[in-house]
Amino acid sequence: MFDFLIDGFGVALSPLNLGLAFLGALLGTLFGALPGIGPINGIAILMPLAYTLGLPAESALILLAGVYTGAEYGGRMSSILLNVPGDAGAVMTTLDGHPLAKKGLAGPALGLSAVSSFVGATIAIIGLTLFAPLLARVAVMFGPAEFFALMVFAFASMAVMMGKDPIKTAIGAVLGVMIAMVGVDSGTGVLRYTFGMAELYDGIDFVVMIIGLFAISEILLMLEHANRKDASDEMPPLGRVMVSLKEVLHCKWTMLRCGLIGFIVGVLPGTGASVAGAVSYTTEKRLSDKEGTFGTGNMRGLAAPEAANNAAAAGSFVPMLTLGIPGSGTTAVLLGALMLYNITPGPMMFTERPEVAGGLIASLYIGNVVLLALNLPLAGLFAKVLTIPRWVLVPGIAILAFAGVYQLHSDLMAIYLMLIIGVFGYLLRKLGFSLAPVILGYVLGGLMEDNLRRALSISGGDIGILWQSGISLGLWIAAVLLLVLPWLVPKLLPRKSLDGV
Amino acid sequence: MKLAADRILGLALIGLAAFAAAQAANLQIPFSYEPVGPKAFPIVLSVVLAALSLVLVFRPGENGHWPDKALSLKLLAVLGVLLVYALLFTRLGFIVTTFFAVLALARLFEATWLKALIAAVLMSLGSYYLFTQGLGISLPGGYWLADFI
Repeated sequence: MFDFLIDGFGVALSPLNLGLAFLGALLGTLFGALPGIGPINGIAILMPLAYTLGLPAESALILLAGVYTGAEYGGRMSSILLNVPGDAGAVMTTLDGHPLAKKGLAGPALGLSAVSSFVGATIAIIGLTLFAPLLARVAVMFGPAEFFALMVFAFASMAVMMGKDPIKTAIGAVLGVMIAMVGVDSGTGVLRYTFGMAELYDGIDFVVMIIGLFAISEILLMLEHANRKDASDEMPPLGRVMVSLKEVLHCKWTMLRCGLIGFIVGVLPGTGASVAGAVSYTTEKRLSDKEGTFGTGNMRGLAAPEAANNAAAAGSFVPMLTLGIPGSGTTAVLLGALMLYNITPGPMMFTERPEVAGGLIASLYIGNVVLLALNLPLAGLFAKVLTIPRWVLVPGIAILAFAGVYQLHSDLMAIYLMLIIGVFGYLLRKLGFSLAPVILGYVLGGLMEDNLRRALSISGGDIGILWQSGISLGLWIAAVLLLVLPWLVPKLLPRKSLDGV
Repeated sequence: MKLAADRILGLALIGLAAFAAAQAANLQIPFSYEPVGPKAFPIVLSVVLAALSLVLVFRPGENGHWPDKALSLKLLAVLGVLLVYALLFTRLGFIVTTFFAVLALARLFEATWLKALIAAVLMSLGSYYLFTQGLGISLPGGYWLADFI
């Protein structure tokens, strides 16, 4: 049953892939540590390079997945030291991490968060190894109707779990799906929304979309942060760099619990590290905060979101690898990267392309160990990254974005399109949208339409096929429950029991 | 009704939905065996988008923090730099345009002239050699300058 993993280690342990896993972990930690450049930006910037270098699919995926998991490690640095989360998954880390740094315990806080990240990720990777092949076996039975229902479920769970405003999450997803409609319709060859521009016939290029939406809009947002002086740029002293065994053992149950929570949240399609961090922090607060010290620099309050967001990062590979439905914004980007290689992740990948699925999972084990080994002794060095001024960072992002997009087709049009999408992304973010639903909608939009049309072709236009099978009916019911329950439950429960939430 | 960013957004999105639906409805479709065709999905999406936007118009969220005048000017300046960078990218070539883009961006992000100059020289030459020699990516050499050399 675990043949794929043994083969996978064979792939991942080749010198090239080992080096890429190491490089990805290193770059990911750096990207995660830099404020504003989260995992998605890091992957967006590296993806065109990986593609041009002619890396085989599994090697590219190993590099990019290393960046992803590394960024979850790096995100905690600026959370703890500067009270500025390096990426969305690290928001909860600021709550107890920064107070600890203020107490002069920045070093141990960094050490503890590295250990809890490692524990959380390990739990989730083991979960991924056990769970993914099983799910893949179920998913083989999925037809177009089931996939369509699954995507509806993914969007429903995203609307409920992600962000504070479900309406805006939903609008973002719809906009993403609509952007995916641009180009030649695969079924009939009809051109949709191209407005006569030949550059749009193939649709809006994935790399252009990602770099515009994330990197360019980030440049514009950084201008605003540069002018606001509320975040302290003063770095607290690190203190002793190693975390003591006693402190780690103090948090052992927290790490295990929150690793498990993070994995489960990560597996749910559409929800990622940020949700996992929030859920685990509130759970842990209720379970172990007897003296009310959460938020004032409690070690457990730091370990909880760190274990959970790394677990979620690994957990979100489960739906991506087995169903082809990404569990988070970042896995949506990885999914798009695989599609550049003409690999559509899904249930068949474990049997047809075991070197990709197995190689990736094996590289996650290796990358996780590398990350712990890098992060414990080198915390001080990585912390230096935070002092890189914006006037170096911003031109750097611009250069990488321009060169990355230009080298795709040696085409200026792509650069203009990237800038337009960047302004669009900036406006969306200013209006309180999260970009993950947009990207999820963009990646899933084409698949969603294809599956819907295929299902209806099978049934000859009878819409009933969409909920005929048990699996699809169950998914529809689950989607409806997800949308209705958060609205219904508060009305049914007495007010008092909700105060703790 | 209070004027809120979300209201304007909602109305704009309803306009977008109407436009998208009209575009889809006007598609000329050759004969096809498929029961759905390329029209239905975009039209359904437009309806969903319009419905969601209507909620936004009637129940707008917080207005958020919008940049003041000085910051808006800076934002436009950054966008302008990026646009000019793109316009001249192939004409003047990677090294020259990148030099000026880095210089301008660094100045906009409050570097001193000296620091900005050093960054511009190092980053334009460094990234050029990294990309072309290290990664084997071809970058524009600039056809305007080629005539002079």
